[in-house]
Amino acid sequence: MPSYTFALKAQKLLRARGYPTEIRRSDPAPGKSCGYSLYIAGSCRAAAEVLRQYSVPFSGMSGGE
Amino acid sequence: MVNFDNAATTYPKPVSVREAAAEAMRLYGGNAGRGGHQLAMRTSRAVYSARETAADFFGAQPENTVFTLNCTHALNLAIQGVMAEGGHLIISSMEHNSAARPAFQLAAQEKITLSVARVYPDTERTVESFRRLMRPDTRAVVCTLASNVTGQLLPYREIAELCREHGICFIADGAQACGLIDVKLGDGINILCTAGHKGLYGISGTGLLVTDGAFRIKPIMQGGTGSASQSLEQPDFLPDMLESGTLNVTGAMTVKAGIEFVKKHGAENIRRREEEICRSFISELGSSGVTVYRSPEAGYVPIVSFNIDGVQPERAAELLSEKGYCLRAGFHCAALAHATLGTENGTVRFAPSAFSRSEDASMLARTIKKSLI
Repeated sequence: MPSYTFALKAQKLLRARGYPTEIRRSDPAPGKSCGYSLYIAGSCRAAAEVLRQYSVPFSGMSGGE
Repeated sequence: MVNFDNAATTYPKPVSVREAAAEAMRLYGGNAGRGGHQLAMRTSRAVYSARETAADFFGAQPENTVFTLNCTHALNLAIQGVMAEGGHLIISSMEHNSAARPAFQLAAQEKITLSVARVYPDTERTVESFRRLMRPDTRAVVCTLASNVTGQLLPYREIAELCREHGICFIADGAQACGLIDVKLGDGINILCTAGHKGLYGISGTGLLVTDGAFRIKPIMQGGTGSASQSLEQPDFLPDMLESGTLNVTGAMTVKAGIEFVKKHGAENIRRREEEICRSFISELGSSGVTVYRSPEAGYVPIVSFNIDGVQPERAAELLSEKGYCLRAGFHCAALAHATLGTENGTVRFAPSAFSRSEDASMLARTIKKSLI
């Protein structure tokens, strides 16, 4: 997530839909800037769809489906 | 001492606001949006909750709700940001210097062209003023929702509709209206700028810019935002784009508590009660030897501007201050508004708050009649 504001917005949206989530500070990847990651227990793909619906920007996802 | 200068900043503040300030100092000592340790995260969550409260109050999204230093800061961000590529700007003739000065500065530097729309007590004449000035290159209209000098409510919904018809940005100054009337972006406002320390009862040094995101606001200030830190370019997303530097966390928490205070009591109820105090004050003042700057054709927020025959406004305020009454005299940082009213020496301004008492207003009116008229 590009900022804590969007990380919290995403967390609230997902928690309201039953996804347990946790915000953590991201390690900046080479060439990328620091930001926040949202750890989701559940399907990342479905969660990402929720975030897209609400225009919450995120740079990508890794881990489980 | 009785404060009737609440249009400048409300005082006293609600107990809940004072408690929120103390709690913020006690608990939220981190730097919001920066770092991942517990203190930073706790502070960031608190700021986000304040952002959500303000966004909900004005019908906006949290990320489109920007904390500023005051309404002047918000208006400068909006006016300079929206007009960054030039074009034609229209402002009302009742604007505070916080809107008028950045507009005139841009015009003086020949970065924009500027027109001033005359405001009348009559809604249709005022809207027609704006309509006549619209041009193909008009990019934005700046209009106060209520004059800080007289309290006159401007027909902002009609002006917003005019802007919508022409596809231009409507920037509203809500400093004197927010907390007293139910202002929403849904009224047609694209960018709402307001103070946190007036009708929203936060502490001094707080303001808000709330946008629907329809018009890009080019940042006039760059710096640390806690995001995209490896880039030397300012982030292009809100609120970070317009929130460089460490936030006033305590201020944000007091704005949250202040908005909750307003919601609890109801903006319309607060306005009605204050307006009763104003009407009673005007009535007790009488009409002999006094000029009150109100018209039966217009609506008002609870502010009364007046003059006493043969007494300079600043002298009147000085004498009243000696008797324990705090009223603001002079030009109220609103050169255009006083030029519109024709008040060449300014006025004396009476502005109650949710904590004002009608008996104090009566005593003030009697004091004025006894001592100054």
